[in-house]
Amino acid sequence: MKTIKSLIKIAVKPTTIVFTVVSLLGAPVFSACKYGGHLKVAIPGHFTSMDPHLGRSGWDAYLWRQFTDHLVDADRSLNPRPISSLAEKWEVSSNPDALTLTLRKGIEFHDGTPFNAEAVKANIERILDPANSATPRSSLAIIQSVDVLSENKVRLNLSGPWGAGLSQLADRGGAMNSPTAISKLGEDYGAKAVGTGPFVIKEAVQGSHVHFVRNENYWGKDKDGNRLPYLDEVTIRQVKKSSVRTAALRSGEIDLAYASLGDIEAFEADAKFNTSRMEAGKINLMLMFNTKMLDDPNLRNAITHAIDPAFINKAIYFGQNTVADSGMWLPGAWAHDPSVPRPSYNPAKAKDFLKKAGKPDGFEFTMVTFGARKPESEVMQAQLAQVGIKMNIEVMSGKAAGAAFFKEGKFAMYATSFSRYPEPDWAGSNVYKSSGYYNAANLPNPELDALIEKGAALSDIDERKKIYRKVDEIVLGQSIVVPMVYQTFVTVASKKVGNINTVSMHDGKMNFREVCMTE
Amino acid sequence: MIPVMFIITFLVFSLLWAVPGDPVYAYVGIDVVLDEEQLALLREKYNLNEPFLVQYFLWLQNVFQGDLGRSVESGLKVSEELMARAPVTFQLGLFALFFAIIVSVPAGILSAVYRGKAPDHAATFFSIGAVAIPDFWLGIVSILVFSVALGWLPTQGYVDPLEDPIQGLRHLVLPSFALGCTSCALIMRQTRSAMLEVLAQDYIRTARSKGLYELRIIFVHALQNSLLPVVTILGLQAGRIFASAIVVETLFGLPGMGTFVVDGVLGRDFQVVQGSVLLMAFMVLFCNLVTDILYAWLDPRIKYEG
Repeated sequence: MKTIKSLIKIAVKPTTIVFTVVSLLGAPVFSACKYGGHLKVAIPGHFTSMDPHLGRSGWDAYLWRQFTDHLVDADRSLNPRPISSLAEKWEVSSNPDALTLTLRKGIEFHDGTPFNAEAVKANIERILDPANSATPRSSLAIIQSVDVLSENKVRLNLSGPWGAGLSQLADRGGAMNSPTAISKLGEDYGAKAVGTGPFVIKEAVQGSHVHFVRNENYWGKDKDGNRLPYLDEVTIRQVKKSSVRTAALRSGEIDLAYASLGDIEAFEADAKFNTSRMEAGKINLMLMFNTKMLDDPNLRNAITHAIDPAFINKAIYFGQNTVADSGMWLPGAWAHDPSVPRPSYNPAKAKDFLKKAGKPDGFEFTMVTFGARKPESEVMQAQLAQVGIKMNIEVMSGKAAGAAFFKEGKFAMYATSFSRYPEPDWAGSNVYKSSGYYNAANLPNPELDALIEKGAALSDIDERKKIYRKVDEIVLGQSIVVPMVYQTFVTVASKKVGNINTVSMHDGKMNFREVCMTE
Repeated sequence: MIPVMFIITFLVFSLLWAVPGDPVYAYVGIDVVLDEEQLALLREKYNLNEPFLVQYFLWLQNVFQGDLGRSVESGLKVSEELMARAPVTFQLGLFALFFAIIVSVPAGILSAVYRGKAPDHAATFFSIGAVAIPDFWLGIVSILVFSVALGWLPTQGYVDPLEDPIQGLRHLVLPSFALGCTSCALIMRQTRSAMLEVLAQDYIRTARSKGLYELRIIFVHALQNSLLPVVTILGLQAGRIFASAIVVETLFGLPGMGTFVVDGVLGRDFQVVQGSVLLMAFMVLFCNLVTDILYAWLDPRIKYEG
């Protein structure tokens, strides 16, 4: 009787009534997670390797995030997330500068190798050795040496203060691999990588799919203390055609994928699917200038003011993306600051800039892009023609376009996409700094360089924000690198998949650590 | 065959090195960074500082030892990757040709036998349609019909038929159909014209006057003699199938050589492109050799001087 009474009490609670009414109306209801199940995922990109340190594609992160853990993990705003980090404590010291990490105890790699200070040292030294061609080397170049202080304590000795350090360890450089497997497999490690993460690689077929199974000894728990992962198996397939991904979702062959822009509306309206949005998952359209070839900021400003990103969003992206309101630090990241003045569509202003540059009748230049950005480039070409600027378009493959623009100095402008890098020093050091790999002109810019170095060194977020605001003022004010459109990521999953709001990580890449099946 | 192979290796190597720009940038992916010190070490490791001919002979020397190098992007051995992927493309090609033959040869015969009548018009209509429809479009439409609407077949992926024959075949049906359709049209037209020519021969008229059954005349006396040009077309289709496999494998997510080459070209992975083109060239030449042998078997008058 008491039970019945308490049930009635629960049933007449206002929240219960609202929940029941909403359920009856067909709004999404998230059932409790169950252990077990096989999640099938499709991604459009081409993955190259499962080695987080030596892989050559941003798409690789969709794989290695499933079987590795980071020294310091981060949430979507890039605040450290201790619950999923391999280090349970970190301490920044100066004179001499160092970052000391206290590691979790009792963790093992999937091959039984203990995760300890020696393993961290081996991983960092592997990255820093130039002979290994590790891609995170530039992000960790500040580390001079690594000292093992005890079984679970390691000190990274730095050449200067490193405020960006924790965030950099949440990316490729902080993903830990088994030193035993690395030395055993040598150059074949990329096909059979071994981490400490929630899933273990069972089968990997290059260019097709990777099949993961649950790591039965996984150490991680969610915020409610539930043992992770929930899923027994995950298969990630490479499905390049968006029409095929959509068809596979609808036929039930795939449980989860990012929706292509043209399908978002239909999926959001379809009661058979749950969706979860991440605004600004990446930069979809960004203009990068070679400031040596187009050396007058007035000419660059004339270009960026003559282009209407809202029209491009509507005409090409089905209105699903968002017009960029700031620079390379996207909404959701702490450095994002939409109050910084930036070029916006204003043809009259564009003509004023042309007059200031002494070219009131316009000028001609050639830009480069890759196939996927050709439609946008043609729209921009037409918009620029309205103010008298003649833009020639050269289309190449992604890699060839990148090399031609960044390294061979062949083009004045590059229309491209860029991954989401919430740590501002990544873009600061690699894109804006005069020595940066993605700085096409590599012209000395002492003011910008000094700001970037200062920003990377400071630890206080408020102080860093002020520095990066100044960086944005220069970069956007002089139209050196100008994002035009941010891309929305919409995770679409069948109703049986739970916790889909945990899928997109701080860099927009997928992670299935907390994803579950509800049926 | 061997001189042709040498010419192909030289052409493939030359064309890739004719691509402007420093090849070391192929090692830098999208969204990843390597510094100058790392790039200099890579140039040294892969002999990129050596003159063109030295590089070519070093590569050729490794090829003769079965070493096609390591993929620029994945770091995996190209030869091992090709060994894993070639069977997928081979199965796809074989199924596509099988589909093309079982549909087009009977259709071609029917069309020739009923020349100018309804079956001929129908076969001509479908063959022109099959040539005109691009395989990627046919692939997407077949996915929408057979996978999404009817739910009979999977949309994409690959299952090894040796491990699971039923699932393996189910995964190959749609890609083989999409790939085989164009070949189907060409073989059907060729069969039709060859049959028409043979059916007009005196010995066929003699056979009919002797009162032989029409089916026996067509399948025993006419068909074998009309197969020679069909075999030529089949041999030529091997090359076309490799080319079209690039599109079909990408569409259906098959881990074959087609997707390997596409990824290699887009990623400027010259080791992958060189290795794959070399193997594909070898397979096409091998198909041509088989065609020549089949000629001699089908027509005893053909003799090859040894």
